[in-house]
Amino acid sequence: MSKRFLALLSALLVLSACGGGGTGGATKQGDKLTIAIGPDPDTLDPMRQTTTTIQNIVSMVVETFVFVDPDGKYKPLLATSWQTAADGMSWTFTLKSGVKFSDGTPFNAAAAKANFDRVLTAGNTCPLCGAFRGVQTIDAVDDTHLRLNLKQPIAPLLGLMTEVTFGFLSPLTIAKGTDAFKDQEKPVGTGPYLLTDRVKGDHVTLTRNDQYWGAKPSYKTQMFKIVPEAASREALVRAGQADVILLPPASDIPALQADKTLKVILAPGDRTIFLAFNQSAKGNPLLQKPEVRRALNYAVNKELIVKSVLFGAASPMDAPMASSLFGYCKTGGPYPYDVTKAKQMLADAGASNLSIKFIAPTGRYIQDFQAAQAIANDLTAAGVKVDGPKTSDWPTYLGTINVPPASSSVDLHLLGWAPGFLDASQAMTQFQSSQWPSAGLATSYYKNAEVDSLLAKANSESDPAARQADYCSASKLIWNDAPWIFLWVQRFPMVTTAKVTGVQAIPNESFYTVYASPA
Amino acid sequence: MITYVARRVLASVPTLWGVATVVFVMARLLPGDPARVIAGVLASPEDVERIRQSMGLDKPLLVQYGTFLGSLLRLNLGVSAHTNAPVVEEIGSRLPYTIELAMVALVLAVTVGLLAGVAAAIRRNTMLDLLISSFSVFGVSMPVYWLGLMMIIVFAIDFHLLPAAGADDPASILMPAVTLALFSLGLIARMTRSSMLEVLGQDYVRTARAKGAPFRSVVFRHALRNALLPIMTVIGLQFGALLGGAVVTETVFAWPGVGRLLIDSIFFRDYPVVQGLVLMFGTTFVVINLLVDLLYAYVDPRIHYT
Repeated sequence: MSKRFLALLSALLVLSACGGGGTGGATKQGDKLTIAIGPDPDTLDPMRQTTTTIQNIVSMVVETFVFVDPDGKYKPLLATSWQTAADGMSWTFTLKSGVKFSDGTPFNAAAAKANFDRVLTAGNTCPLCGAFRGVQTIDAVDDTHLRLNLKQPIAPLLGLMTEVTFGFLSPLTIAKGTDAFKDQEKPVGTGPYLLTDRVKGDHVTLTRNDQYWGAKPSYKTQMFKIVPEAASREALVRAGQADVILLPPASDIPALQADKTLKVILAPGDRTIFLAFNQSAKGNPLLQKPEVRRALNYAVNKELIVKSVLFGAASPMDAPMASSLFGYCKTGGPYPYDVTKAKQMLADAGASNLSIKFIAPTGRYIQDFQAAQAIANDLTAAGVKVDGPKTSDWPTYLGTINVPPASSSVDLHLLGWAPGFLDASQAMTQFQSSQWPSAGLATSYYKNAEVDSLLAKANSESDPAARQADYCSASKLIWNDAPWIFLWVQRFPMVTTAKVTGVQAIPNESFYTVYASPA
Repeated sequence: MITYVARRVLASVPTLWGVATVVFVMARLLPGDPARVIAGVLASPEDVERIRQSMGLDKPLLVQYGTFLGSLLRLNLGVSAHTNAPVVEEIGSRLPYTIELAMVALVLAVTVGLLAGVAAAIRRNTMLDLLISSFSVFGVSMPVYWLGLMMIIVFAIDFHLLPAAGADDPASILMPAVTLALFSLGLIARMTRSSMLEVLGQDYVRTARAKGAPFRSVVFRHALRNALLPIMTVIGLQFGALLGGAVVTETVFAWPGVGRLLIDSIFFRDYPVVQGLVLMFGTTFVVINLLVDLLYAYVDPRIHYT
């Protein structure tokens, strides 16, 4: 009896010692971390993917020059430093030396060039290449220096270099040929994990790269389980069969928060959710008046909807872009909810009998259609005759709003917009008249010549302070013009069990589990 | 017999051609631009155009139709626009999961459904009959989505007995199979009960009883065998439906089968995969119907095919 008691006592002592050591020293080693995600990867080829969740997985295998840390700051990864020429027409990156791809090939300037050449090759599909196509030529100066020569200055180039689209595959993988890019479906990179198993529609398994050049992760494997239904993901984490899940059902967030065995993370994001007014000549003429659009901004009770419909999974916007982006500045408080003021402003603008056609998607953003119903209610209370909200599946929805101005058919639509990297340039395409469909997705058909010229300037400026100032001035003009009903910046909800620690998020709707460990 | 089969196979060609044409047209009638959906909202117009060309959507509709039928004749279903992998490979990697699920569900539905139906018929208007009939109605009318989640809550969350979702554990199949089987089970039980009741009143059953045949033999050899024809039709149709209709079950339980592939492909407007899958479902139904018809002759010797 006493022996058993002693054994128990020593076990407790060992346990408490482990618990105490967690903060100071090495993290605990873990065997397997299971993460339930929604979408099934269409491709794991960094060049061809288009989905944030897929980027998250691939970036554990394939690394980039620059890394965005959980605070949203740019940090060196495979490039140790970078320099831009005085005229902004070229960028030189100094590469980290001594890094090897997991197949043993050295990472050097030639390998990096092979990857950039690949994404720029005419005929290769690279949906997120975007501004990178402004690169003219790529020079491998020596083994550790790479220079990008540009057609015109690309101000957000460093932001692009954080995207896994511009991550580095082993040159051996690239050389295997381009036949349907089959070999690039099994990316071989320099990252902390290796892709070891994939069953389409079921899971993707990554195994720790024991040759990794940086700090070694704790978990030996991380398995991404594909579970399209949010309620089923919630069940997995409640049953302890998944350690981390992304995007639980929003309506269950309060119940999950109340559960002591779980942790809910509502990470800041960069996706703005808004209602775009159709300001084209084809739309309702009353909506071309900024007074009317401002009035409707006062008519929607954003705080209440965030609280009671989104269960806290968003924060009301106070600028036309998310605060995590470079270029953000506060442009005056949110339009406060004031239905009397809204009614008065509508009457003053001669819009007391305003009637609008309103559509919203279902299941694309957190509680999107539910929020649209609440908004329609608010607009009705302000005396607006609302036809809608009507909804449809995403391809149909996109087909309805992504049309040239002359074919536009609704007055108001709900949309979300999230730039791929934390810079205002992609966010602000929504307000550039050159980005009206079909050229881009600026579906409110907003045009302000001053905003256009400020944004064009900011896109090619090499002085960050001047860029910041231009974006700030543009934001203020936009805020006052109210081309949207500014709603909220969506948060990125994740749930983990209490057995896991160190699960982080990057403020562009990304999870970061590389250095997670058992609690 | 062989000529009959050959004739049926030949007759299925126009049916499948019709299916191919209908799915080709219907896919293109859906609103939305496949190239834009696949490229994502941040893609440039050039990249969208490149995908459009690679899908052949820049060509006139008739040319697209001709190319589609031409490749079909060479048994080529094309390449998925969404994943770039051959359609055959996409379907091939998912089909074994669906077949496994459908088979387990069917075996469950047929054995339990038949026995329950027979039991309800011979114990007509008793407590047992009432119980079985109510259970059948429950099975037929319960929404799969709700039932699936309830089972997950009870067996995975509360009792920690079974995996909540996925296909990576041998026990993973239990909950989706039961959920999926319940509808067919209810249907088969009800069909068996009514068909058996009809047969049990027949003269030859009374004769069999009168000559002193054992009860079990009367029920299973005389009555059930004669009651089986309509039940077989239902079973055949149900098997076809199980192969193609497990969409909700596969989604709730994250089962990587073809039902989910079909939904994903429709949402991405991935025409080649949608066409390939619908054609496969069509072929499955044709083959199952043929097999059921052939089985009729085996069960009922009065039926001859020439």
